[in-house]
Amino acid sequence: MIGEWMQAVTGSLFWEYRSILLFGLATNFSVFFLSAVLAVGMGLVACLARLSPLPSLRWCGAFYAELFRNTPEYVLLVWVHFVPPLLLTVLLHTRVNFSPLFSAVVALGLASSGYFTETFRAGILSIPRGHVEAARSTGLSGVLTLRWVILPQAVRKMLPEALNQFISLLKSTTLVSLIAVPDLMYQVAMITQEQMRPMPLYSGAAIIYFVIILTLSALVRKISEGWRAVGRV
Amino acid sequence: MGMMQRILWNNRREFLEGLLVTAQISLIAIAVAMVGGLVICLLRMYCRPLRWLATLYIEFCRSTPIYVQLMWVNYVWPELFGWPQSFFAAGWAALALQSSGYLAETFRSGIEGIARGQREAALSTGLTPFLTMRWVILPQAVLMMTPSLMNQFLVVVKSSCLVSVIAVPDLMYRALRLTSIWFEPIEILSFTAFLYVAIVFVLSAAIKWYSDRLRSRYA
Repeated sequence: MIGEWMQAVTGSLFWEYRSILLFGLATNFSVFFLSAVLAVGMGLVACLARLSPLPSLRWCGAFYAELFRNTPEYVLLVWVHFVPPLLLTVLLHTRVNFSPLFSAVVALGLASSGYFTETFRAGILSIPRGHVEAARSTGLSGVLTLRWVILPQAVRKMLPEALNQFISLLKSTTLVSLIAVPDLMYQVAMITQEQMRPMPLYSGAAIIYFVIILTLSALVRKISEGWRAVGRV
Repeated sequence: MGMMQRILWNNRREFLEGLLVTAQISLIAIAVAMVGGLVICLLRMYCRPLRWLATLYIEFCRSTPIYVQLMWVNYVWPELFGWPQSFFAAGWAALALQSSGYLAETFRSGIEGIARGQREAALSTGLTPFLTMRWVILPQAVLMMTPSLMNQFLVVVKSSCLVSVIAVPDLMYRALRLTSIWFEPIEILSFTAFLYVAIVFVLSAAIKWYSDRLRSRYA
């Protein structure tokens, strides 16, 4: 029993495969960065749609946000990986395949963009209307009002929430191993098949993610507190 | 269209049984998570020597991705603790593990949210600490925590599709198996995604409605 427990925490097997595991971790982070870009971009677009004066656009934005907030990430991942390529194949009469990395980035980016839509919207709506009117009446143009009055306040308001979304996104990147993107969990599964010793490997993976995400969340908390302090004028 | 109806309709039993497993595993997981979360929360708040352990547990549950936890529970726990011996048990154990960490924090903020004066007043009227908890703090805390508790259930339902990875025959597992049998991913996977979206949407709308009602009635 004690021997098994020790085996669970010793890192010898991990050290042996360190290069391949580090590469896996790097894959996690690249999927994270790419899908974060997509998520923020689509989140901004959908947020602007939600705030537009046109009811039809508003409705589309709301539908988009609700759709992606309510879909489990794994279901979306599998769907994106298998269904759109087939539909495109039928439409274009040529064989279309999505690479696992591409599907992973699209699925995680879309899933996360639903949350970003709401975060951005809440941030922008938190600015009192009077600020905009005051800025406009002093002669600032629409763009300048956005740049110097709305955004500095809105960004400060939504930053803590957005940073938390990024952490959730990083946690979700572990799912991409399920469609054979070679991330850390994928490498762990492969090495497990080779070595038949799941215990130290999966425990090690759990500890690695734990340390990384705990550190990042602590950092986020610190940054958010700093921003909140700056905001309190 | 006819094709689509045939595959989905002929396999309606599979979808229904899958939904049932999804519902089962989510309900078991949230029930276990509530008990576990409460115990951990009480340990953290009232048992000084074990506080660090409870805090570590909470941070571990909250900071590790659910998929990693699922794999960890499924592969490591049987060797470490001799349990769980079935995939179904590993599935709900992993879902409960994740949620218990979040719920412990929900419970703590709920209990700490009750003004200190209330506790002091209850104690000074001669109620024992246990009776104070039972009749003064918990009723108010439960009211405050209900919305986050229900939202955690929503998270469990959403994450539950991952148990298909360890061969628990839930909705997602059945969908993937039907896809490999019939090779019609467009119909089967789209319908499954629709089912998940619809369930989660309806649940979250119901939760929002109920939370608003609670707030307007008691707050």
